[in-house]
Amino acid sequence: MFNFVPLMLVIANMQVVQPVIVKTAEMEIDFTPRTPNQMASFYEARGFPKEMRDVLKQQCFITVGILNTSNTKIWLDLSDWTFSVAGKALKREDRDYWKKRWQDMAMPLNKQSTFRWTLIPETLDYLPGEHEGGNIILPFTDKHLSVTATFATGENKQGKKITISTDKLFCAEDAQ
Amino acid sequence: MKKHSSAYMLLIILLGFCISEAAIANGSSGDISADIKVPFGIRHYDVGHAQNFSLQDIDGEKFELDQTRGHWVFLHFWASWCGPCREEMPAVQKLSEAMQDEKFQIIMINTAEDEDTIFEFLSAINVELNSLMDVDGLVTEAWKPRGLPTSFLINPEGEVKYQAIGGREWEKPEYINFLKQLLKQSN
Repeated sequence: MFNFVPLMLVIANMQVVQPVIVKTAEMEIDFTPRTPNQMASFYEARGFPKEMRDVLKQQCFITVGILNTSNTKIWLDLSDWTFSVAGKALKREDRDYWKKRWQDMAMPLNKQSTFRWTLIPETLDYLPGEHEGGNIILPFTDKHLSVTATFATGENKQGKKITISTDKLFCAEDAQ
Repeated sequence: MKKHSSAYMLLIILLGFCISEAAIANGSSGDISADIKVPFGIRHYDVGHAQNFSLQDIDGEKFELDQTRGHWVFLHFWASWCGPCREEMPAVQKLSEAMQDEKFQIIMINTAEDEDTIFEFLSAINVELNSLMDVDGLVTEAWKPRGLPTSFLINPEGEVKYQAIGGREWEKPEYINFLKQLLKQSN
C-alpha cells in the first residue's frame, strides 16, 4: 500500500513512538503521541506561518484512530472524553478555541482550514467498519496522561454506552 | 533531503487525518434508486439540494455547480497531503475515461492549497484531471465532507443523493456499473 523506502529512511532518523491501542468488543482506538518536531515538520511542509508553528510546537499532539468493529453506529463526542494527569483534569482545547486563536492572530484562512482538517472531529457517527482519525491537542505535560472516553451506540444513540480508558498516554518529546 | 523525507514520513503517519480504509456498510434508505445495488463504501445521502458554489479551476476558468444541471455529478474533495487522496486519484482518472461519453461530470475540488501545489501534484501523479481551487477552504467546510477524500453524487436535478466514504476503486466494474445504472434510471 505504501512506498516503504522513504518510510524506512525516515524511521532511522526519527524517534518512533508506539501507539497505545485499546480494544473492546465493538471498537478499536489507537493513540499515537507525536513529537513537536514531527508536527512542526508537517505544518512547515504545508507552508504554515512560523507564528502558527511556534504555537503548535508548545502543544501535546496525540493522533487518535477509531475503528468501529461492531455492526451498529458508534457516536464520537469529544465532550464525553476526559483527560487527567495524576488525578487532576487536563483541559483539551477544542476547534472553537483554535479557530478563535488563529483568527486573533490573523492567520491565513487556508492554513486555518488545513489545520482543522488535521484535528479529529468533535462529533462523528462511525458507521460499521469505518475508520477515522485525527489529532487531539492537549497542554504539554511530562507526566503520564489518563483518558476516559464514553461513546453512544445505535442509530439514535439508544444502544448501550461504551466506555474505554487508559492511563498509558504521554506527550512525546524529541530525542535530545 | 532530510526535511523532505521527514515531510513524506509525516504524510504517511498522519494518514489518520484522512479516511483511509473505510469499510462502510451500504446505505439502505429508500429512494428512486432503491433497486440499484449500492457498492461497498457508498451510502445513500439524501440531504436535498446541492449547495451552489463558484470557484476557479487551475486554468483560471470560473465554474459554478449550478451549471451542471442535467448531468450526474461526481463531486470530489481532495488535498495533496492526504495519502488516500493520492492513492485514489488514478482510479478517478480511469473513471473519467470510462464515463466520458455519458451525461456525467467529475468535479474535483482541492482543499485550501495553492495553484502551484495542485499543479505540481497532478503532474507528479500523471493524471489529466483539472481541479477547482478552494483556496481558502470555505467551500469544502460548507459541504462538510466526513474527511478527505470524500465524493458526493448529485443527480441531474441538483440533489445530493450519495456519499462515498474515503478512497474507492472507481475503475472497478461494480462502481462503473452502479454509476451507469444511475444514469440509465435518470433517462
